[in-house]
Amino acid sequence: MLFVLAVIQFIQPDRNQSGQAAILDISRIYPVPESVQGILRESCYDCHSDNTRYPWYSFSQPAAWWVSSHIRKGKSELNFNQFGSYSARRQRSKLKSIASSIKDPTMPLPSYTLIHRNALLSAKDRQLILQWTAKMISRSPNK
Amino acid sequence: MAASILWLAACTSGKKTTSAAKASDSALTSVVVAKPIGKAPTEALINAYLQLKNALTKDNDNEAAEAGKSLVLAITIIDKNALNAEQSKAFSDIADDAKEHAEHISASEGNINHQREHFETLSQDIYELVKIESTPGRKLYFDHCPMYNQGKGGNWISETKDIHNPYLGKAMPDCGRMIEEFN
Repeated sequence: MLFVLAVIQFIQPDRNQSGQAAILDISRIYPVPESVQGILRESCYDCHSDNTRYPWYSFSQPAAWWVSSHIRKGKSELNFNQFGSYSARRQRSKLKSIASSIKDPTMPLPSYTLIHRNALLSAKDRQLILQWTAKMISRSPNK
Repeated sequence: MAASILWLAACTSGKKTTSAAKASDSALTSVVVAKPIGKAPTEALINAYLQLKNALTKDNDNEAAEAGKSLVLAITIIDKNALNAEQSKAFSDIADDAKEHAEHISASEGNINHQREHFETLSQDIYELVKIESTPGRKLYFDHCPMYNQGKGGNWISETKDIHNPYLGKAMPDCGRMIEEFN
């Protein structure tokens, strides 16, 4: 058992850090106020962008696999850095889904906020996001 | 002895290939036979959508998930060459979005509220396709429920003139009104 644990430390999944300027980032397409951008970065971007701020435990296995599968799934649902690559219709759907996941509230995941206490959203944070998404949905074309 | 075993092995493997070839032959024929003739290219897609809508009117999340799966498939295998120019444009506008909603619905068994959220946007996508040209020999209706989503409302497409509400289900089955008819 110990041996297996030791061996898997050498198998590390690729890191989700593009290091490139995100030219398709949501902030290039929609106006994102500083307050909203701050919340997105703190509470969403770790799993929903091309750049994760990795915590210490994510360097030890098997946690690294667990973290990387979360990021992969998160990004396939929604990637703020690639928002501009979605069709207009899909962008609107994503904004709607952001709003409902914040309202319900299914996001950020409890398993994530358990460790990342800074990512917890206050009622005011949620209100800010909801107001912002509502505004963006109403201004997007052919709604 | 060894030679005869080899020969036997060769013989059986030879047989296998023939039967495999036959199997793929008949598979080919059945594909050709199964190809819809004289049907609208959007038919399977609309049928899957209606199946989903009907499952939601009955508050049946399992059936809705199944229908969501059929819808994903119908979107994937649609014969794009059979669409006219206008349909083809509408289809490429909605395809990725509609497919994603259908995928979420099929993965959300046990959470009918979430299925309905996606169904609401999905209905808007399907509307874009249906409004262009209705399926021959089939009448469809565009219905509106003013109460869904805390008064924000929701629309859906139906094959029946009577209202069967997919958003409120059995709680308020006949809430809503028809707002458009496709002939």
